[in-house]
Amino acid sequence: MIEAALPGAEVEILDQTGAADHLEAIVSAPQFEGLSRIDQHRLVKAAVKTRFDDGSIHALSLKTSIPAGPHQ
Amino acid sequence: MADQELKQRVQELIAENQVLLFMKGTPDMPRCGFSMRVVQVLDQLDVEYGAIDVLPALQPLREVTTEISDWQTFPQLYVNGELLGGADIVEEMFDSGELAEALGVEQPAGAAAPAQPEQPQGPPLQIER
Repeated sequence: MIEAALPGAEVEILDQTGAADHLEAIVSAPQFEGLSRIDQHRLVKAAVKTRFDDGSIHALSLKTSIPAGPHQ
Repeated sequence: MADQELKQRVQELIAENQVLLFMKGTPDMPRCGFSMRVVQVLDQLDVEYGAIDVLPALQPLREVTTEISDWQTFPQLYVNGELLGGADIVEEMFDSGELAEALGVEQPAGAAAPAQPEQPQGPPLQIER
């Protein structure tokens, strides 16, 4: 879902409770370049909004980063 | 749609307070682990901040912050009129030193281990004769 919204993103999901509703996502996406952390989180949260709205996710803890590109 | 009177009041508070925390509970008695984490970070940086307990008006405030900042969850830390983030972002920025920079304060020594109590700064060891 996150990968679909952010092509090229690397996403790792950790299930914090085992119930699959409190998740931690570690997302590295080229789209984050130049964005503040809050805007990076907004992008990811927007991508999974429907899952919050339907109640299948209660909490999502996020860590975002920009992948080290070939230019670096 | 959010209560426009409340929204205006919140916008005034954000403008009036350089550092403003919307949290569940109070700094002395946080009622949520995420809010407590942000309070601990701010305490370590020794900054003055305004704190608003959102619990008495949780849903109206959620609607207001959604309109103002496109952010629904609390805590929310505002610095210089902008939403910086919730607990995840605040902690990450604290660890990297970005938060101290944004707040214009010194990064405390030993900040990488927030759970550690401060080491007492004793005199160097001496051997008495």
